[in-house]
Amino acid sequence: MRLHHPNPTLASKAFAVSALAVGALSLSACATRPPASDVEATQDFEQTNDPLEPTNRFFYKLDDTLDTYTLKPVAQGYVAVVPAPVRTSVHNVLANLSSPVLFADDVSQANPKHAGDTFMRFLINTTAGGAGLFDVAKDWGYPAHTTNFGVTLGLWGVPAGPYLYLPFLGPSSPRALLGRGADTVFDPFTWVPRGHGLLTLNWARYGLGVVDTRAAYLSDIDHVKAGALDPYATFRSLYRQNTQSQVEAARHPAPVTPPAGTEQPAH
Amino acid sequence: MNTVLTRRSVLTYAAAASVLALCSGIRPASAQGSSADAFLKQFADELVGIVNGPNPAAQKKAALGPVIDSNVDVAKIARFCLGRFWATATPAQQAQYTTMFHQVLLNEISGHLGDYRGVSYTMTGDSMQGSQTLVGTMITRPNAPTADVKWVVDSSAGAPKIVDVIAEGTSMRLTQRSDYASYLSQHGNDISALLAALQRQLGNAG
Repeated sequence: MRLHHPNPTLASKAFAVSALAVGALSLSACATRPPASDVEATQDFEQTNDPLEPTNRFFYKLDDTLDTYTLKPVAQGYVAVVPAPVRTSVHNVLANLSSPVLFADDVSQANPKHAGDTFMRFLINTTAGGAGLFDVAKDWGYPAHTTNFGVTLGLWGVPAGPYLYLPFLGPSSPRALLGRGADTVFDPFTWVPRGHGLLTLNWARYGLGVVDTRAAYLSDIDHVKAGALDPYATFRSLYRQNTQSQVEAARHPAPVTPPAGTEQPAH
Repeated sequence: MNTVLTRRSVLTYAAAASVLALCSGIRPASAQGSSADAFLKQFADELVGIVNGPNPAAQKKAALGPVIDSNVDVAKIARFCLGRFWATATPAQQAQYTTMFHQVLLNEISGHLGDYRGVSYTMTGDSMQGSQTLVGTMITRPNAPTADVKWVVDSSAGAPKIVDVIAEGTSMRLTQRSDYASYLSQHGNDISALLAALQRQLGNAG
C-alpha cells in the first residue's frame, strides 16, 4: 500500500484530478433539457452549457462548506497575522517559481511581448529581486501578467466544453483541465527527481499558493455570495465570461503603448 | 432643377461640415465616442469624489443615489436582467421588480465602493459596439492590482446613460441575468419567488 507515502508529484496530482473528473462525469446525473418548443429556455440551456449541473452543484456545496470552515478562516488568519509586505513577497516568490510555465504559455500564444516580459522578469527578480522576494522588474518596465495553457487552447480554437465544478479546484472545463495538465508538464519541478527536499517544497508551494489565492479574493467572494440569489450560477457565469475574455485578450494583444490622443488630461 | 439644388445643398453641407470638423479638431467618426468619453469622465469624477471623500459609509451611499439615478439607465438594466421572464411578469410584478432592482443595484454599488479609498482612474479609449459606446478605464486602488473596467454607454434615447459595466471581462448585467434565470429555473420559473428572494436580500442588507 502507498498510503504512508502519498505520491506528491504534480504529475500524479494532475492525473488524479483528471481521473476524478472522469469519475464525476460517469457518476453524474444530468440536468433536464427544456422542451424544444420553448425556444428561449433552450437557448439559455445551451448558453449555460452545464449538462452536469446536479453533480457540479453537489461539489460546489461541498467545497463551499469546506471553505467556510477551513480555507477561508486560514486565509483570514494569514491576512491578520502575516504583515502585508511579507504576503506580497510570498506572492512574488510563488509567481517567480511559475515563470518557466508562464514563459512556455506566452510562447505557445505567440506573444513575444509577454514572453519577453516573463523572461526578463524571471532573470531580474531571481537575481536583483532576491530569489523572487521582490518584484523589481515591475519598476524596470516589465509588468506582471498571468495566463495558462487553457487560454492557449482557446486561442487555437478548442471549445471550452461543458462547465465543470471540481472538488478543491473549483470552476473548470475540459479545456481548462487539459490546459492544467499541459502546464504541469511544462513545470520543471515536475521533472526533478523526487527527494525529501522537493517533496517539502512542492507541498509548501501548493499549500501557500492556495492560501495566497484565497486571501486575494476574500472580499470579492464575500461580495458575490452576498449579492447573488444563486451563487453557484453567478460564479459559473463569472468564470465563463472571464475565461472567454482571457482568450479574446490573447487573440488581440493590447498595444504596448496606448494609442495617441487617449491620454487623460493632466488635471 | 430640384436635383441640382439638392446636390448643391448636400455639397455645401459636406464642405461646411468638413471645415467645421477641421477647425474644431473633432473627427466626425468619433464624435459619438468622444461625447460618451466626456460623459463618462464627468460621471467617474463625481463617483471618485464621493468614494475618496471623508464621509462615513452611510452618507456616501446617500450621496451615490442621485449620481447613479442621473447617469445609469436602471430601468433598462432591470428589464435586461429579467430576460425572457420580463414578458411573463404582470405589470404589477414588473413595477415591483424594477423598484427592488433599483435598491439592490444601489446596495451593490455602495457595498463595493464602500471598501475603496484613494481610488484613481485613467481613460483608455473607446470603441463602438452597435449603437453603444464602450468606454475603457483603468482603475487603481492602493494595495490592489489595477482593474480593467469598461463602461457601456447608450445614447439611443438622447442623453447618454450607462447600461453596463464590464470588469475584467465580466459584464455586470449578464452575470445578474444569469443569476436570476438560474434562481427562477430552480424555483419553477415563478416570478413571485424571485420577488420574495429580492425582498429578503434587501431585508438582509438593512
